[in-house]
Amino acid sequence: MSQEPKRGHFAKEKGEVILREHEYDGIQEYDQKLPNWWLFTFYGAVVWFVAYWGLYYYSDTFKTAHQLVHEEIIAVQQKKDAELEKTLATLDNSTLVHKWATDPAIVSAGEATYLTNCSACHGADLSATMVVGAAKIPLPGLPINDGVWKFGGKPMDLFKLINKGSPPESTGNNGAKMQAWDQTLTPKQVAEVISFIIAKVPADFKDIPAQ
Amino acid sequence: MTTTITYDDKSVRQFMIASIFWGIVGMLVGVLIATQLSWWQMNGKFLEWISFGAIKAEGISFLTFGRLRPLHTNAVIFAFVGNMMFAGIYYSTQRLCKVRTASDLLSKIHFWGWQLIIVAAAVTLPAGFTRSKEYAELIWPINIAVVLIWVVFAVNFFWTLAKRNEKSLYVALWFYIATIVTVAMLYIVNHLSLPTSFTHSYPIFGGLQDGLVQWWYGHNAVAFFLTTPILGIMYYFLPKAANRPVYSYRLSIVHFWSLVFIYIWAGPHHLLNTDLPRWLQMLGMLFSLMLWAPSWGGMLNGLLTLRGAWDKLRTDPVIKFFAAGVTFYGMSTFEGPLLSIRAVNALSHYTDWTIGHVHSGALGWNGLMAAGMFYWLAPRLWKTELWSKALANMHFWIGMVGILLYVVALWCAGIMQGLMLNEVGPGGTTLKYEFLETLESIQIFYILRSLGGTLYLLGFILCAVNIFMTARSGTPHDESVEVTLLEKKQKDGMRWGEALFNDPLAHIFLALAFIILWFFLPPHADKAALVVSLLLCVKAYKSFQAGKDKWTDYHERLIENYLPFTVLVFVAVAIGGAVQIIPSLIINREKNIEGRLQELYTPLELAGRDIYVSEGCYNCHSQMIRTLVPEVMRYGRPGVVNDYSHLGESLFDHPYQWGSKRTGPDLAREGGPIAKDPAGTPYKFMRVGKRGNDWHFNHFINPRQISPGSNMPAYTWLLDKETDVKALPNKIRKQVALGVPWPALSKHEITDMAETQSQEIAKSLVDAKIFIPAKPELHGDALRNHLAKSQMVAVIAYLQKLGSYREIKKDAPFKSSLDPDTLRKASPPKQP
Repeated sequence: MSQEPKRGHFAKEKGEVILREHEYDGIQEYDQKLPNWWLFTFYGAVVWFVAYWGLYYYSDTFKTAHQLVHEEIIAVQQKKDAELEKTLATLDNSTLVHKWATDPAIVSAGEATYLTNCSACHGADLSATMVVGAAKIPLPGLPINDGVWKFGGKPMDLFKLINKGSPPESTGNNGAKMQAWDQTLTPKQVAEVISFIIAKVPADFKDIPAQ
Repeated sequence: MTTTITYDDKSVRQFMIASIFWGIVGMLVGVLIATQLSWWQMNGKFLEWISFGAIKAEGISFLTFGRLRPLHTNAVIFAFVGNMMFAGIYYSTQRLCKVRTASDLLSKIHFWGWQLIIVAAAVTLPAGFTRSKEYAELIWPINIAVVLIWVVFAVNFFWTLAKRNEKSLYVALWFYIATIVTVAMLYIVNHLSLPTSFTHSYPIFGGLQDGLVQWWYGHNAVAFFLTTPILGIMYYFLPKAANRPVYSYRLSIVHFWSLVFIYIWAGPHHLLNTDLPRWLQMLGMLFSLMLWAPSWGGMLNGLLTLRGAWDKLRTDPVIKFFAAGVTFYGMSTFEGPLLSIRAVNALSHYTDWTIGHVHSGALGWNGLMAAGMFYWLAPRLWKTELWSKALANMHFWIGMVGILLYVVALWCAGIMQGLMLNEVGPGGTTLKYEFLETLESIQIFYILRSLGGTLYLLGFILCAVNIFMTARSGTPHDESVEVTLLEKKQKDGMRWGEALFNDPLAHIFLALAFIILWFFLPPHADKAALVVSLLLCVKAYKSFQAGKDKWTDYHERLIENYLPFTVLVFVAVAIGGAVQIIPSLIINREKNIEGRLQELYTPLELAGRDIYVSEGCYNCHSQMIRTLVPEVMRYGRPGVVNDYSHLGESLFDHPYQWGSKRTGPDLAREGGPIAKDPAGTPYKFMRVGKRGNDWHFNHFINPRQISPGSNMPAYTWLLDKETDVKALPNKIRKQVALGVPWPALSKHEITDMAETQSQEIAKSLVDAKIFIPAKPELHGDALRNHLAKSQMVAVIAYLQKLGSYREIKKDAPFKSSLDPDTLRKASPPKQP
């Protein structure tokens, strides 16, 4: 500090260093001017307060969070519909059984998706059971490897079932219905899962002719 | 006239020792719960290993994360920092007032009362007695004890001020005054509740109101329990230790008043991007940004006081701790406003970034300031030298590495998980990661964090050892000094009129009043209010320029009068909360609450909810889908466009359960409609949502069997404990008193409803062929009856109800001055 502090009340000029007259239990206090950069951050935040409030309420600069969610979710929905349409155009029972399910890369991608999303209810071995200690107890889902297809056993029936979930008229398994997986999985992923299922239980799909 | 007085340093020693003891306990619990996030076995199973099988358990209820996390936060905030603050306040206030603390008896009651409260908390929280509101979890009888002890503290403190032999109040005392007054206000309002038994109560606020009040309290517990008292302590101990004058007195004035006034407004930033009315979110965010400079004012005054004493960093551990503590204060008060920006908060909220943020404050600011103060005090309280400077230095460096490891690990964890949760898959129509995948990917950071916390704890144990050895090497010493007595007429002579009605205050209050009118007045009138307010500011500036001395003299006079000063502090801290909370208490939006009104719980669901609260589920699971696209995509229902959580969906929730951190996924839409039996007949009460009852059952027994990689504790004891159905009629009666529109139900009807619903669920579980691993012999009717009585079924009933609401037709567009949004922006768009 270049300047010797003066004893006094308040700093009056910039650069003047005042040591206040009073001390408390030996603690003295300078009375330095407030740093300008500090003042400007403070003033800046206050000005921004007024400006932001004004921009939000008096102009259309910012959309409400509700508008944003509304618009973007609808956009996602439309994209999803288009994607589904595109997938459906290239997909049929025969393609799934004879092309997709015979491609090991597709089947293993389907397996990965299955293990992340489906095995909690349908079991890692598709039997919808789980081994607890010595016992085997059922899981919430229906078994996939028992040859019974409650809602249609064609690959495209499964595609619809997985995509849209249990049909509305279903009472579910013990009240529990399968969710619509189109929210979580893309049509391609759903098709991959079906390919994995076909590869696991090929007997159920052997009647589908190759084109 | 002079006299010799002896300061009461015994209380200081007691509080200091208590602080160190509880600090170790609190941090130890912190380390334990940190490891629980990495290894589920730390929720009790580890006892099996360390007792070589003598104790057998998959988990132990009172050792689970949900119950211990509140114990950790309460212990660190109220026991560690609380006792440290009292030590600092009792030591410095006596010296700044040149008088012994007013009453030794009150000091004693304060000390022992506070320790008893801590013990009560340490017993009740792990036992599952909780109000579930963060840092306000303690049950109502303890709440009353806290208020009483706080009043004892306040009386003792203000009485000491009244007896002071020092004409005016030093800045440290301003901060203490703000602490005492504001904590009392916050604590009382946020703990208002209606008891249903000796250990249980419902908060009087519900849903949005409860959330607003909670974070008005929660945020300002940080402000006025962890910040202002420590700033006061900084203002006393730092210049003492550095032996340098405080940098700037006027900075003290400006940053004190701006800090206490602005801090209170920032609470809603804990609820950003929810369905909270936008004007409240804007106030929360914008006041947080305005808070940056006032906070840094404190940091500047601390760091710049060290000018000319920086060389002491090399030799004096006290200065080292203080300098680092103040630096951490600056860092976390920069991070705070950053996290309050809505766009940043969209990513950071509900992740570990927030946890890292509070720990840079708690470990960095509170912990280091506490250690600095202890090292400075101990030699003086026991009239000796510090036992080992080298050990103190070692504490410093171990602690510093610990903090950095901790904070950096959680930055990485929070930002990474936030980004992963928002990442869309190929095509942009689905989300790329399941919640569990994001949790697994941050495990490495959780381990680093546990390591950082452990290092910090080790450092703190070194501190305890050092203080203990210092105390052993000396003898307890109460300092005596000669003071000049001050006549009563020489102090506190300001008349109330002079204090409250005068030029500077009139300008400030008028400008403030018009700013508040600017928030609430209808379009155009609001702009006029803003203009008037700006004009008043200009006028205030002019009159300040013309009569600077008058304004400064006024403040000089004010700090010579503790009561008017205290009243003005109270006014400054009361305004923010009043403006934000009262409107939401007054307008009854039940009929207009954005078209969705919560379905009432059934008695069994209410019982399940109370168990959910008691187990502390809210510590890891939120019930709030924010108004953000990735959240709606992840947690909303397919085909419902605006499926964020509407305010009406939690209108009757006492307490609200929106949560503040997601270690598990959000549960707001976990429930579903009334289920149907295989014949197609709907059940009377039983609902099934996203997952079946058996899924929940198996998941509670062993979460990892269903979700490999999950770190949730197993909740097997829910099967052993019975639901307290008998308490329900009284609980429901209390809910009615709080305004929850339960239909008139007799005791019998209530217990019958609970019985029917629990039997429905138990039967569905038996039909699903579940079995209880610990009781494999149970089956058929015996199994069903056992399940029906268990807490497990009640919790499942509650989970299957979550997110149930009725669509409500709006009578007319809702417009109210108390809800400025409705006057200006359009209400949410209609469902297509």
